[in-house]
Amino acid sequence: MSTFALSLPRPGAAMALTRRDIQVYLSYRFMMTLDLWIGVLDVIVYYFISETFEGATTASLGNAPSYFAFALVGIAVTVVIEATSVGVGSKIREEQLTGTLEALVAQPIKTTEMAVGLCGLPFAISTLRVAIYILLGAIAFGLDLSNTDWAGFVVMLVLISTAMSAIGIATAAVVLAIQRGQTVAGLAIFAMTLISGAFFPVSVLPDWLEAIGNLMPTKFAFDGFRSALFEGSGWEDDALMLLAFSVTAVPLAIWLFDRAMLLARRWGRLAQY
Amino acid sequence: MAPAAGDQPILSVRGLTRSFGDQVIVRDLDLQVNAGERVALRGPNGSGKTTILRCITGALLPTAGEVRVGGHEAGSQAASRALGASLSQDRSFYLRLTGHENLLFFAQLRHGSRAGALAQVRALVEELEIEDIVVKRLDSCSTGMLQQVGFARALLGAPQLFVLDEPTRSLDQGAKGRLWAALERRPETAVVIATHLPDDVEHCGRHVDLRS
Repeated sequence: MSTFALSLPRPGAAMALTRRDIQVYLSYRFMMTLDLWIGVLDVIVYYFISETFEGATTASLGNAPSYFAFALVGIAVTVVIEATSVGVGSKIREEQLTGTLEALVAQPIKTTEMAVGLCGLPFAISTLRVAIYILLGAIAFGLDLSNTDWAGFVVMLVLISTAMSAIGIATAAVVLAIQRGQTVAGLAIFAMTLISGAFFPVSVLPDWLEAIGNLMPTKFAFDGFRSALFEGSGWEDDALMLLAFSVTAVPLAIWLFDRAMLLARRWGRLAQY
Repeated sequence: MAPAAGDQPILSVRGLTRSFGDQVIVRDLDLQVNAGERVALRGPNGSGKTTILRCITGALLPTAGEVRVGGHEAGSQAASRALGASLSQDRSFYLRLTGHENLLFFAQLRHGSRAGALAQVRALVEELEIEDIVVKRLDSCSTGMLQQVGFARALLGAPQLFVLDEPTRSLDQGAKGRLWAALERRPETAVVIATHLPDDVEHCGRHVDLRS
């Protein structure tokens, strides 16, 4: 019976997986453009919602200067969260269905390398999309970035991706074991983002739901990102919380993924044409 | 046949049994393969040839018994490094990428370094004369072309054991010749193939008959 030992991935192997995913992603040019435009449309919709109700909100928007600024961060961070969590599970399912997972497992590759490599594309693409949406907000809709702490912005982006990739790797483990799970994970992530301050402040929620929302790792993602972007400070505590979550959850998720891989080999489910 | 270093067979299968639900596909198989030896697994459809190969690559765990490659448990990193496999080649590639991109990807998983991987892919492409195939996206290639790229992938990393599922099934005469010639140039490497074809069996020193 194989035992699990968490080890650092070889950068070359993890990079190869990421490069492969980027090459495949770029081959779907229409889908790539569509992904980008859906986000742009979201930004435009929330801009006009914000304009419609300008000054009408009684809820505290925390450190965001306007509802549009608040929602823009919600859109941008949700893109990162969804890509690094649900996206990884979907990728594993695709590999199972096309038969490439079996070919991959026959290579001398560590579970850690596979898990880290699978997160590379979602991280790269979502980072690019966040940059585009924030830039669009600033250029087209007057988003004020004069107070932005750019180092904090980058640190938060990396930590959000890392923390959420734990959920993605765990989702991939569930998908490997039971061939499904992306839909459930998608719903869970949607609920998490909704109650932790993606598109409205948690203070408008019923007390019991607000209490749950305040415990979600996504809450620290939204709060910290807004602090870095609009205040230029105050993101450090949120960053520490995300770091603590990552340090705990990522190794656990990789262990789960390793066990799921073992189960899939036992049950003959690496390939499910 | 020359035994592996330390008289250890490169492939050791002991009491291998593999079931799917109530159906026993492989029962209590013993097989030892030494360095340089070629073994053909023969048998009708459903006799468990591919299942045995999948157990050797580590894609399937045995229900009972053990499989070791180069002394390491099948499926472990060390065992996978010692092994080059070509199974179900028409389904195991990234079809939206070219043959070259696919080979480079798999080579890099073995090498780590991109430069080393690139050099090895170039050498293999030249040796197998598949320059015209690897420049194409694989979703535009025939089964025979995919099979040639699959064989090239099995040769990556100079493994000690090749595991090939019906390696010549869809190949033309020229490609078959190049495949066997490539194996001849690697006399120390053990080969286990699953096949229906008498021609393939003739290229092997030993065969194992499996029953359905």
